[in-house]
Amino acid sequence: MANLSKEKWSLAIGTPNGLPARELRNKTYNDVIPRPFNLSQLLSFGRPVTSDSILASVSYALAELPRRLATRVRALETLPYIVGTNPYIAKTLHAHRQSFAWLATHAPVTSSSQNEEFVEKLASIVEDHTDDIPTMAKGFQECSRYMSPTQISNFLDGAIHNRIAVRLIAEQHITLSKALSNSPMKADYVGVVDPQCSPYQMIRMCGSFVSELCEGTLGAAPEIIVEGDLDAVFPYVPVHLEYILTELLKNAFRATVENHYKKSHGITKRPPPLCITLCSPTPLSRNHEHYFSIRIRDQGGGVSPSNMARIFSYAFTTAGRGVHQSVQAHEGGPSAGTGSSDIMGEDDSSLFGEITGKGLQNGLGTIAGLGYGLPMSRLYARYFGGSLDIFALEGWGSDVFLKLRCLDEAGDAAI
Amino acid sequence: MLLNMIQPLRKPSIPRCSAYIFTRLQSTFYQNRHLETYISKTTQRLTLRQLVFFGRHMNEERLIKSANYVRTELPVRIAHRLRDLQNLPYIVVTQEGVSKVYELYWSAFEKFRRYPPITTLSENDKFCEFVNGLVNEHATVIPNLSLGLSLSSPYLAPDELDSFMRRMLTSRVSRRVLVEHHIALTEMFRGRREKEASGEPHVGIIFTGLKAKKSIERCIKLLRERPTWVEDFNEKIDQWPEVIIDGQLDTQFPYIKEHFEYIIFELLKNSMRANLLAHRNSPSIPSIKATIAAGENDIGVRISDQGGGLYSDSQINEPADLFSFSHRRNAARMEHSRIGALRSASYSNKGVLATVAEQVDRWNHAKSDEVKDQATCTEPHPRIGIGLPMSNIFATYFGGSLELVSLDGWGTDTYLRLPKLGTNLEGIEV
Repeated sequence: MANLSKEKWSLAIGTPNGLPARELRNKTYNDVIPRPFNLSQLLSFGRPVTSDSILASVSYALAELPRRLATRVRALETLPYIVGTNPYIAKTLHAHRQSFAWLATHAPVTSSSQNEEFVEKLASIVEDHTDDIPTMAKGFQECSRYMSPTQISNFLDGAIHNRIAVRLIAEQHITLSKALSNSPMKADYVGVVDPQCSPYQMIRMCGSFVSELCEGTLGAAPEIIVEGDLDAVFPYVPVHLEYILTELLKNAFRATVENHYKKSHGITKRPPPLCITLCSPTPLSRNHEHYFSIRIRDQGGGVSPSNMARIFSYAFTTAGRGVHQSVQAHEGGPSAGTGSSDIMGEDDSSLFGEITGKGLQNGLGTIAGLGYGLPMSRLYARYFGGSLDIFALEGWGSDVFLKLRCLDEAGDAAI
Repeated sequence: MLLNMIQPLRKPSIPRCSAYIFTRLQSTFYQNRHLETYISKTTQRLTLRQLVFFGRHMNEERLIKSANYVRTELPVRIAHRLRDLQNLPYIVVTQEGVSKVYELYWSAFEKFRRYPPITTLSENDKFCEFVNGLVNEHATVIPNLSLGLSLSSPYLAPDELDSFMRRMLTSRVSRRVLVEHHIALTEMFRGRREKEASGEPHVGIIFTGLKAKKSIERCIKLLRERPTWVEDFNEKIDQWPEVIIDGQLDTQFPYIKEHFEYIIFELLKNSMRANLLAHRNSPSIPSIKATIAAGENDIGVRISDQGGGLYSDSQINEPADLFSFSHRRNAARMEHSRIGALRSASYSNKGVLATVAEQVDRWNHAKSDEVKDQATCTEPHPRIGIGLPMSNIFATYFGGSLELVSLDGWGTDTYLRLPKLGTNLEGIEV
């Protein structure tokens, strides 16, 4: 924090247990409201990447990250006591406290070598927090009698939104640092933002992964037909788009195949294809904001009106228990989104995995079950001001409308 | 910005209606006690199923009962709407158009109030003539009301205006349904009505096995047979876009055929226009896709076009604004061309009934005139802007819905959902 003097920080250095950090937090962070921080500031450190900009980036990270983590810790601490004693929730709280302590008490970074050390540790912290959402999910599932769905929902909305921010800031710094020291960055990338993100390429990539997954678990997979502006590109955070697309494709594929089996009673025709329409930002947009629009149309039988109200709530899923073979391997495929197998009756050894690194191994994961895919995708879509809406024709299929903000003009989007 | 869109305000002291009507309206003040009696009664709402069931086992006693139900129910519904009108600001009801509607409603109320009970079949015949006459008299209500409320838009909050129009139009639809259903039942009972040419089974005005695909095909045919100059484009159109139907093609459900076809007709009309406008410089015009779906409780029809979406001229902020009569929500309501077209429609005796038949008649009439005399009647279809609002009213009447979604830069998807079990009550205020 810019206004924390070295003396206050050094109070906490010493024993790495929770106590000094908590005291420190009580002294300084309790009264602090997260400072608005916008996208253009975040991106400015990468334009261009120099050793000075990296040092500026790290000092921003050291200022912003503890602030965000403090919010998370506070939120967890204010959950009802009984919920806090749940081992999964407690584990999450402990992990956040530790990360907070390390970041809040870290000495300012003033050289490239110090930065390299910092980045290494930061990356491992990010890795440690990989399973936060599934862990909390399991915890909340066990606590469903102690908190109302609205309360859980509000908490998770805040947690996920905060998490997106933390990862964005952390990954940005890690990526920029690597760019300076190692290989040159991919052409034109500004850290985590790809100015020429191609939805068409992304669809092909996610499509082939989900297709494999689907064939493996359900025995068949629909084709994807893409129409519209195939060559269009727009500036966005590729991992976000990838996550959203993977989740949406999983839903669409599963619905299509299950509905196909139901309707055709095992006749070996191919299931009906998905139709994805890509729409590059229109020049004349209301409010002068530009969005890239994607419509995913399936013939998966649609959603009944009674379910429509619930599909965006956490932990609502139509995946039957015990339907899927639970595969113990980490979910693989290129930066796959979260899914999980049965929660009931399984032991808790790493059933889920959210992978944000790049290019991990292929493996079979499961295609549905956690019930977090849609609400999380919507949070990701909304993060920079976009939207995700679903319209269904019950009995036939659904349309998902995804609108993502073009980040070259979203400089004022709050992080 | 608002100032650009409204017409210059007239001084509030002198309403723009004749002195005769002015004194006439004043005299209704003391007769209002009659209204009070009817307002205190609650409306008896029906479901589609009840309407069908009642009509299926028709005998003389039931027919008389039906006549008296219409005779007593209609004044209650009209009374509620009169009270609504009375509660609007004075400046609004004395506007051009609205005062005329008030006058019509008051007159209808008085006539119903005084109508004696019906006891015989011949009295029922006279009653049917009477209500039919009233229905014809009220043909000008929709354009007059639309005109008046659009002009009054500066005086009313958008929510208030829209909810008022909703109540008025829904009530109007409901009264027509009751009247037309009763007249149809009478005709059938008396053996005077020929069986429907299509042979589709129906009870009164409700088709018990309405084939969605057939209705859509009929609408497509009618639209594609239109002379191409009905659209006000400057360029010549060679051909109307095609419509491809897919989905669950054998879907059938019980519904009022006229309502269903009106909605589909209006939506396809809009989509065709949008496709033509967006692709006027392309070698070919993309087709429109209509998809039929049958759910457990609803049937669904989705119409997808490639007309570029809903926001190209930025008159609205969200799709539902297209259902609004307030210029604050939909700036097009105050356009001169729009107001002019509404005015012409209000003064014409034929009025606007919000049916497919009246539009087709007009085109056929114009087509035959075209041969005779090129100078007359080749005017484009007047765009008065009631297609979408009325479609929404029809759709929601028995508890369905109409949603428009824009894929900006590509096209618009419209989702129509109608209940198929017939167990929802009419959506009017009690």
